[in-house]
Amino acid sequence: MSQQRSSYAVGTGLFIVLGFAALAYLATQTSSVANVHQGASYTVDAHFANIGQLKERAPVKVAGVRIGQVQSITLEPGQEVADVKLKIDNNYDKIPLDSVATIYTSGLLGDQYIGILYGTSKKTVADGGTLALTKPAQQLEEMIGKFFGAGGVADNLGGTYSVKADFTNVGALSVGAPVKMAGVPIGSVQAIVADPVKLDAKVTLAIDKRYNAIPDDSSAAVFTSGLIGTQYVAIQPGGSPDALKDGDEMVLTQSAMQLEDLIGKFLVNGSSSSSSPSSDKKDAGNGKSSDTPAPAGKH
Amino acid sequence: MNVRAPQSNNVVIQSLTQIGNCGLFLLTLLMAIPRSFRYIRETIRQLWFVGAMSLTIIMVCGLFIGMVLMLQLYNVLSIFGSTSASGMVVALAVYRELGPVVTALLFAGRAGTSITAEIGLMRATDQIDAMEMMAVDPIAYVATPRFLAGLLAMPLLCCVFCAMAIFGGHLVGVTWLGIDNGTFWSNMTAVVVVHTDIVNGVLFKSLVFGAVVSLIAVFQGFTTPPTSEGVAYATTRTVVASSIAILALDFVLTAFLM
Repeated sequence: MSQQRSSYAVGTGLFIVLGFAALAYLATQTSSVANVHQGASYTVDAHFANIGQLKERAPVKVAGVRIGQVQSITLEPGQEVADVKLKIDNNYDKIPLDSVATIYTSGLLGDQYIGILYGTSKKTVADGGTLALTKPAQQLEEMIGKFFGAGGVADNLGGTYSVKADFTNVGALSVGAPVKMAGVPIGSVQAIVADPVKLDAKVTLAIDKRYNAIPDDSSAAVFTSGLIGTQYVAIQPGGSPDALKDGDEMVLTQSAMQLEDLIGKFLVNGSSSSSSPSSDKKDAGNGKSSDTPAPAGKH
Repeated sequence: MNVRAPQSNNVVIQSLTQIGNCGLFLLTLLMAIPRSFRYIRETIRQLWFVGAMSLTIIMVCGLFIGMVLMLQLYNVLSIFGSTSASGMVVALAVYRELGPVVTALLFAGRAGTSITAEIGLMRATDQIDAMEMMAVDPIAYVATPRFLAGLLAMPLLCCVFCAMAIFGGHLVGVTWLGIDNGTFWSNMTAVVVVHTDIVNGVLFKSLVFGAVVSLIAVFQGFTTPPTSEGVAYATTRTVVASSIAILALDFVLTAFLM
């Protein structure tokens, strides 16, 4: 009888351990606190002016073949470049020092990845080295935008300061939407109220105190992350030596693009009809790619 | 034991009586928790029966749910060229809804029915009355250990279910359909938040469902008419009432937690 009892206890113990192991797996491996683990690899830095929708763990490819992944994306306080750390497999340790790292999009609507075009230098980039030549993500957002993921709002805010910005049109911007600089979330939208006198939208942005060196002539724009994505506020740094302070107002703003307006612009050459079918997103996309010289194409 | 309802022909009155008795029974159960610590071995034994023995069905179902979800999502999302988002959608769907709900439904079918049938037969064969004669509190010895075991087992089973679903999705998506492994995980980790998805979604919901299913199962067992027909009806009622309660509560909980 006691033998049977102890076997119950062992089995039950195993069951509980298994349950908690599954919980730990869910919490650490599939959620935002997931830590990167990989085989033998080395780390290379690359600085991008804009990372677009690049995410951590996005693939790094050479000639379309995956050789590693993005380890971390950080925005150094006071700088306007995103510091991207690439974790590259040790098998591929002969990357020339003058190789160009470019952020590509897989298809018009796909996810972004980093493609490395080999240079001609005899020297190879070492562990901890930097790829100096980079091409940022194409700013398709300004026209149509990418498809997925406005990205999370910066989660570990160590105190914020508020900045106001007036927009003539905020589109579908909502409270809590991310505020991004160089594509990296640095804060969130705190409040949106209509100004009863100036008849525009007064948006209050809560920006992380770490980013306290944003020039006070920076401009704020409402961008859409994708054809049907959520909207966010993008801050484009200016050149003023003075930094934005708590309670300041941003003078230069760019309101939300209306999809209908954009498509109207694309159709302006051909059709005479004034009705611009807003559902015709494919056409808008094609028109766009032929207009701009270098859209993010297939690698 | 005043849980046997006075008979009435009105359906509304009957259901209200049933619900009221169930609520009173819950209070009795909760008050018996300190007394049932004496029977901690019985609780462990029940945890083995309702939890560990349900693992096989939970794991297999979780695996297939993840696999079929990924297959469907891949087909739809490939229209938009964004198949890499399917891992993220599988994770969110499983954590927020499918995991707790399907686990609870399976749990009601696998463990709830056996609890009801066991207690119902104990009553039909006068074992409950015999316990009372021997001054053993049947609530503390029979009901509370099963209730506690169900309460504890559900979150654990749900975690296992979700992990297996993610594994199944990974198996189909990455191994078979060729979604990039890094993109699969990066999209998932970019969206899943521990607090809202795993604590509120997986753990809290499954804890509530576990409490509801075990309560209904134990209550139905205790209030069954002591005949073989009565036990059969009680078992059926456990599954029906649990399923309705799970799905209705799921809506309410989701509305609250959103």
